[in-house]
Amino acid sequence: MENSSEDYRIQSFDVDTQKLLKTALKDPSSVDLEKVSNIIVDQSLKDPLFSKEAGRICYTIVQAEAKQNNGTVFRRHLLNRLQQEFKEREEMRKRSLQEWVGYVTFICNVFDYLKVNNMSMVALVQPVYECLMRLAEPDALLNEEEVDCLVLQLHRIGEQLEKVNSQRMDELFFLLRDGFLLQEGLTSMARLLLLEILEFRAGGWMLSSTAHKYYYSEIAD
Amino acid sequence: MSHRYRATRSDARISDLKHRSGGTSRWSHCRKRGIDGSLRTHSDEDVDDGLSDSRHSSFTTPESAGPVSRCGRPSDWGSQVENEEMRQDVHRDMQRYRRRILGAEVSQRERKASSGSSGSCDSREGENIETDEAVLMRRQKQISYGKNTLAYDRYIKEVPKHMRQPGVHPKTPNKFRKYSRRSWDQQIKLWRVKLHAWDPPAEGSQENTLSDNIEELDLEDIVDIELDFPALADSENASTSLLVNSSSAEDQDYSSKG
Repeated sequence: MENSSEDYRIQSFDVDTQKLLKTALKDPSSVDLEKVSNIIVDQSLKDPLFSKEAGRICYTIVQAEAKQNNGTVFRRHLLNRLQQEFKEREEMRKRSLQEWVGYVTFICNVFDYLKVNNMSMVALVQPVYECLMRLAEPDALLNEEEVDCLVLQLHRIGEQLEKVNSQRMDELFFLLRDGFLLQEGLTSMARLLLLEILEFRAGGWMLSSTAHKYYYSEIAD
Repeated sequence: MSHRYRATRSDARISDLKHRSGGTSRWSHCRKRGIDGSLRTHSDEDVDDGLSDSRHSSFTTPESAGPVSRCGRPSDWGSQVENEEMRQDVHRDMQRYRRRILGAEVSQRERKASSGSSGSCDSREGENIETDEAVLMRRQKQISYGKNTLAYDRYIKEVPKHMRQPGVHPKTPNKFRKYSRRSWDQQIKLWRVKLHAWDPPAEGSQENTLSDNIEELDLEDIVDIELDFPALADSENASTSLLVNSSSAEDQDYSSKG
């Protein structure tokens, strides 16, 4: 299990693809980076576990390429592929909830890991917000899978997002409060998750120790 | 009471949101800002392809025209992030450049002060700085295209910085100096021409690398070679017709005079 994080979870790929990805990590200019970016995005849509950590492998490839020849080919292909999927996100959601959740997880992970001069990529701020807003709509709040994804992303990147556009975060939290308070048909688990994220942001993107105890102490045992 | 108020408020907001994300109104709004951006996407991709997998195509294009001049907001995320990065880099470079000038000016002033003369050209260099972001971005792009070649990689590997001689080796134009558009473009052109001396040897053709005898080549030679080719071809084609025409041209000349 220790190794899995070292290997960027690429054991689930076939042997040739593993080889390709390993080369991309070490010597990016020698491989077709568009193909690599497509493989990573495709896998993120298929494999929820992979999508949670795929930003890291992207980060490593981007770093390696920049170091090697100051290139940005991989990043360009990655972002443009993400954009292409973004345009069809509503169809994707209808087609497969798992793909959609994988997509949101991945784009948020990329937002988290890939920085430009240590700053968030402005181009992704709006799209990421759009995705999270979609997850906060009433029909999505009825799916625990989507609620789970939403609060996980907010735990990870909520603070960064708020820094770049706090107004949008306010809008998102209006929706979350309304969802928590007014929406019928929510499972108690979904309500719990929403309540926790509301407290989390209210505490400055941190849970107070008592709140932490409330939400996690029993699970920890 | 207040409950119902909240409900209607949120309903309105929810339907508003549905509106937004159901149709792509909000996002496509953003993209419309660069209608010419969709055009650019294509040409940008072309350039990018040329640089990524078949760099050779860029060897023969020292021209600075092309996607360089367009500075609006591109529509694809990849280019948006690249622009963002370049803008930040240009600003960071500018701060560095200003600090350097400032340092130079201070030491100059000290020297002047000790010698007793009161020079008025102290802030000269400071006034000559190009600060227009659009201009700087355009110039940076031109420089990047030049640097993103195999020739440039070979050049910086083969000739260490302290070995480079002005006039002999290519020197990247200074993007922070104020120059006219024409002057700048010419500098870029000459720089690219000089860099071509480090192009990798073409497969199949003679193996002697130009860089081996770069010492003999100076700027004028290379420029002449470049400029001579079309002229030569022209004159060869035209040589016969020139003979035929010359008499009539002279005739015309005379007749116009007479």
